[in-house]
Amino acid sequence: MKRFKITMAVVASAALLLSGCGGDPAGPRSDFDPNAPVTLDLAFWGNDTRAGFYQSAIAKFNEKYPNITVNSTFLAFPEFWEKRQIEAAGRDLPDVMQFDYAYLRQYSQNRLLLDLKPYLGKYIKTDGFTESTLGIGVVNGVTTALPVGTNAWAMFTNTALLGKSGGTPYAGGTSWDEYATWMGSVTKAGGGAVWGGTDPTGRIQNFEITLRANGKNLFDDAGAPQFTKAELTAFWSGGAQVRGAGATIPTKRLLEVAPKSGFGAGLTASELTWDNFGAGYAGDLGADASGLALAAPPVTKAGAKDLYLKPSMLHAIAANSEHPEAAALLVDFLVNSQEAGEVFGTNRGLPASSTHLAGVKLDPLSQKILDYETSIKDRLGQAPPVPVVGYGSIEEKFRQLGEELGLGTVTVEQAVDQFFSELDTILKK
Amino acid sequence: MTTIEQEHETAGRTAPDTGPAPRRGRRRGLASTIVWYLTLLVLAAVVLYPLVWLVLATLKPSSEFGRNSGMLPWEPTLDNYARVWDGIAGIPLWRYFLNSLIVASLAVVGTLGSSALAGYAFARVAFKGSGILFAAMIGTLLLPFHVIIIPQYIIFNELDLVDTYVPLLIGKYLGTEAFFVFLMVQFIRNIPRELDEAARIDGAGHPRIFRSIIVPLLRPALVTGGIFSFIWTWNDFLGPLIYLTSPENYTLPVALRLYNDATSTSDHGATVAASLLSLIPVLLFFLIFQRLLIRGVATQGLKG
Repeated sequence: MKRFKITMAVVASAALLLSGCGGDPAGPRSDFDPNAPVTLDLAFWGNDTRAGFYQSAIAKFNEKYPNITVNSTFLAFPEFWEKRQIEAAGRDLPDVMQFDYAYLRQYSQNRLLLDLKPYLGKYIKTDGFTESTLGIGVVNGVTTALPVGTNAWAMFTNTALLGKSGGTPYAGGTSWDEYATWMGSVTKAGGGAVWGGTDPTGRIQNFEITLRANGKNLFDDAGAPQFTKAELTAFWSGGAQVRGAGATIPTKRLLEVAPKSGFGAGLTASELTWDNFGAGYAGDLGADASGLALAAPPVTKAGAKDLYLKPSMLHAIAANSEHPEAAALLVDFLVNSQEAGEVFGTNRGLPASSTHLAGVKLDPLSQKILDYETSIKDRLGQAPPVPVVGYGSIEEKFRQLGEELGLGTVTVEQAVDQFFSELDTILKK
Repeated sequence: MTTIEQEHETAGRTAPDTGPAPRRGRRRGLASTIVWYLTLLVLAAVVLYPLVWLVLATLKPSSEFGRNSGMLPWEPTLDNYARVWDGIAGIPLWRYFLNSLIVASLAVVGTLGSSALAGYAFARVAFKGSGILFAAMIGTLLLPFHVIIIPQYIIFNELDLVDTYVPLLIGKYLGTEAFFVFLMVQFIRNIPRELDEAARIDGAGHPRIFRSIIVPLLRPALVTGGIFSFIWTWNDFLGPLIYLTSPENYTLPVALRLYNDATSTSDHGATVAASLLSLIPVLLFFLIFQRLLIRGVATQGLKG
C-alpha cells in the first residue's frame, strides 16, 4: 500500500506538470445535432451495487437518446483517481466522470474540466438546485462540476447497542463537555465491552466545526490555513483530557478492528462522521439500519453556523471531450432526472436536485438522513471554499496524528509541529 | 539463479544422510528428536497461521470482520463464495480468471522466448556494441517504473491500444524484461562453449545451435523464469489498472479491489473468498513447474 501511495504521488505531480497547457473550449456548438450517433465514456467509482444502478440508469437514458452510446467503466475510489491522474496527463479523460470534492480544485485549475456555464439552462437544467448547491462546484468563478448529492457532518448513535448495554440515548447538540460526560456514562454502563464513542479530536472535521463556530474555515479562498498552532494545541489537548478520563475507546482496540471503525464493529455507541455513512455502518454491523439514529454534533458556540452541506459527489465533463453537448445531456440526466432518482435512490448521497429527489423512494435510513438535514437547518452555514489541492493528504495526516496521540507515541506539541510542517510541504507544492 | 543453487545444496546435503546417519541419530536419543520435531511444528504453525486464518475467514459472514478476530467463524457460511461466484456488475468471476490467465500465459511465452533469444545474442554472438547494449539493458533495471508510466500511456493512447492487452504484453515480446534477459545470459555463459563448437563443426549456424544445443540446456532457467514471470504478471496491478478500461477486460487483481469500496459498503467476506480463489492458479502453476525445475537441475549433469 505504501508503494502504491508513492506511485500515486509521483504520478500526480507528473500529471500536473504535463497537463498545465490546454486551450479554452468555446462552449456548445450551434450546429449540434441531438440525433447524431455519439459514443461517450463514463467513469465512476463504487461497488457492484452502484455499477448495477448505473447500468439501469444508462438503459433509461438510452430510451430517451438511443443515438448516444455510453461505455461505462468503474473502479474502487483510490484506483479510480490513480487512473484519472494518468489519463489527465495524456489528456484522455472520460467524457463524463463521477467526481470528488477533494480533487475538484486540482483538476479545475489545470483546466482539465469543461466550463459548464454555457451548457447550464440549455442542456443541463438548473431549476432543481438551490443557489448555494449550484455554487458548490465553482472553482475560481468557473462552474466545473454539479453536485449529485449532499451530506452533512453528523453524529451516528447505535440505539440498539445502547439499549443492550444500558446506556441512555444521546440528545444531540449538547456542548462538547456534556458529550464527553455522556460517553463516559455509556462506557461505564458497558462494563468494558462497549464504549461511548471514539475520541473526536482525531478527525479534522471536528476541528473544522469548532473553527467555523468562530467564523473561520480551515482554509481561506486563497488556500491559506486559517488556524494557528495555539488553536490546534488547545483542540488536541482537549482530546487528551477526554481520553485520560477513559470515556472513549482505546486506540489500540480501534486498530484491531480496522478497516472497520469502532462504531461499525459494534464496539462504540456513537461516532461523528458524514451522514451518508449509515448504509455502510448497517452493512458492517450486519444488522438492519433501524438500530441507528442520527443526532446533531456537539455545539461549540450557541447559534453559530458551524455545519455545512458538502457534495457527496459531483459530475464533471472532461475538457478534452469531443462531444460536450451529448455529455451535458448525460450529466443532466444523471443529476436531475426523476428516472435516475428512482434507480439510484440515495446510493450517491441525498440528492441535491429537487427533481432528482422527487424520483427517490426513501428507505427508512434515507428518511432519517433527510429529517436530520432538515433538523440542522439553523446550523447550516455557507460551504467552505473548494478544498485545497492535497486536502486528502492533510486530512489523512490529521487522522494519523490523532491515532498516534491516542497511542501516546507523540506529545501534543510534537503532533502540532509535525502537522504544520506537513501542511507546509503540501501547500507549497 | 539462487533458487537453483539452493536446490543443488540441499540435494547434496540430504543425499548422504541416508547412509550412516540413522545409527548415530538413534544413539543421540529419542528426546532430542522429539524436541527437534516440536520446534519444527511450532515454526510451521507460525508460518501457516495467516494462511489458515485466511481460509477460515472466507467462511465468516461480512459482519463478523472486525468483531471476531479469532480463527473460527461464529456462524460459518458459504455465502461469500456464492456471492463471489456471481461476479461483479453482471460479469462472472471466471471471466476475470480467464483474462488473468490469458495475460499471464501470453506473458510467460513472450518473456521466455524473447529473453532466451536476447540472452543468446549477448552471451554467444560477438557483435558491435554488445557491451554498451548490455550495460544499457542492465541500466533499465534501475529505471523506476513511475518514470515511464506517463510517456508510455501517451504512446499507447495515440496508437489507440488502450483497453487492449497489447500494452501489457508487447514489451515482454520485445525482450525488454532486463531481469529475465540477464538470467538467461548468465545461464548461457555457464554452458560449455565446446558444445557450440562441436555443433558448428557439424555445420550448424546460430539458429540451429540455439534450437538444438542451448534451449534444451537452458531448461532450468526457462522454468525459473516462467514461474517468476507468471506470478509477477498474475499479481500485477498497476499495468492492468492503467491500460484496461472496460470492466469485462479487467484482470483478477483489479477486479478484486471492486469488492472493497471505502466510500460505500465494503464486502470483506467476498474479498477474502475471492483472494483465496485467486491464489489457487498461482499455487498450481508453481507446483506443476517446480517439479520440472528440480528435474531440470537433476538431469542437467553437464556442469559438475
